[in-house]
Amino acid sequence: MRLEMAEFPVATISPGDRFHYRSGELTIDRGAIEQAVLEEKRIEAAWLDVVAPGDKVRITGIRDVVEPRVKVRGGGQVFPGVLGPVEPVGEGRTHRLSGMAVFVTAEYEGTVRAGLGVQRSAILDMWGAGADASPFSGLRGLVLNLRLTPGLSELTAHAIIQRAAFETAKKLAETTASLTAERIEVFELGNAAADLPKVLLIQGCLTDSPNPHSGVSYFGLPIRDSLATVIHPNEFLDGVFSMYATRCIAYFPVTWDWQNHPLLLGLYREHRKRINFLGVILERIRYDTFHGKEVIAHNTAQLATQLGADAALVSWLGSGNAFVDVMLTIRACEQRGIKTTLVTYEYGGKDGVDSPLLFYDNEASAITSTGSRDRWIELQEAEKIIGPYQEIKVLSYPGAPLTSARGPFTLDARDMIVGGVDYWGRGSWSCAAY
Amino acid sequence: MISAMYPVAEQVGASRIVKAVAIPHPCGDPSLSAELDGQLRREIINTALKALEANVESSTVFAPKIAAGA
Repeated sequence: MRLEMAEFPVATISPGDRFHYRSGELTIDRGAIEQAVLEEKRIEAAWLDVVAPGDKVRITGIRDVVEPRVKVRGGGQVFPGVLGPVEPVGEGRTHRLSGMAVFVTAEYEGTVRAGLGVQRSAILDMWGAGADASPFSGLRGLVLNLRLTPGLSELTAHAIIQRAAFETAKKLAETTASLTAERIEVFELGNAAADLPKVLLIQGCLTDSPNPHSGVSYFGLPIRDSLATVIHPNEFLDGVFSMYATRCIAYFPVTWDWQNHPLLLGLYREHRKRINFLGVILERIRYDTFHGKEVIAHNTAQLATQLGADAALVSWLGSGNAFVDVMLTIRACEQRGIKTTLVTYEYGGKDGVDSPLLFYDNEASAITSTGSRDRWIELQEAEKIIGPYQEIKVLSYPGAPLTSARGPFTLDARDMIVGGVDYWGRGSWSCAAY
Repeated sequence: MISAMYPVAEQVGASRIVKAVAIPHPCGDPSLSAELDGQLRREIINTALKALEANVESSTVFAPKIAAGA
């Protein structure tokens, strides 16, 4: 499976009356986008905003972030199972608009009132301290704001928001369909020298089985309790993974993250040079019993052994007890002679003195930290609010009071900032001992 | 301490740890009939009471007689 990813960098986004891309300048037909979105009758209103790094704006009500892509050659189409049929993807040529994203926002109250299934939305600052906390602030953004019919169920609202975002993103990428790319990167497994170490990416994947949507879907199908499975990395690049669009929290990856998985891309770029990249094991984590956690750890390590792995990068997503599954997986791999490196964020508490991880194993001897998600952060006053919410809850406990979204205010953790938790090491943090 | 994540309880140094059923329902199992669930609950609580009477020198796990993976 060979995929050519053609890159069209975006330096400016200009609303206009036609779709056009030339040398980094993207012009969008504002009316056509809004009209297409409004074909879904349960969207009452849709309007667009454009944001750029450095703008003193705060976006509220973010439900997902998507990179515009379209397939111009090869089978299937981007976001299979959501926008089109379940067809093989990952081959041929895909165009991407890099350096930009579609941010979809929507006000949504939901019907679930307690627990992990409660709707959540995220914010993003394009300037200042809030921008430093999220790499998404470095992208140019087309903000697609939606107002939904009241009273929709979680799954219906999710499907409507996601479809609007994916269709808009694909439409933007179509502006490049007949153009020549500035850069083409080829992604293909295999053909590596026999003496290179065989390396896997083990992607722990927390899903909430009992919720209306489990949190992560593959070809549009929410992943629930499942044994570990092998995924071709090219599938990630064509958008087979997506998220629950009525629950955007910083420790769950958005669609953009799945399309641009930094560890997957990093391993791919070392393929046939320093390593033989074998592909990805997707491991569902967050089993309810210790027995379940031991079984999934065994199953994953057994699969890795069968694939002939010498080493694995292990990463995860989400929070809480799912991390026990991850640690047990590391132990199971190491006991079978597969060397592991864990990539994870830390807790550590607001002052950085609490335990950084929930659970440890002596076999986890190589860990790359991507920084703390717990630290306080002070956000400055915004000049403008974009998105549905003029007032937000800045504290996370139930019944917390509403505050003006304009700020300034202090957040007690990074959870509310989209991109505020670095689950896969995409950020630019570094550390020096002194 | 009654915990479904008993290795975590050991790691934080709890002295007497009783293995529980599952994270969402540590002291019982809603999928069982009321009668069987009652037996299970009694077994866990009795194990916890025995644990309280026991002299322990370090983190000690007490296992109620329940089916694995219940």
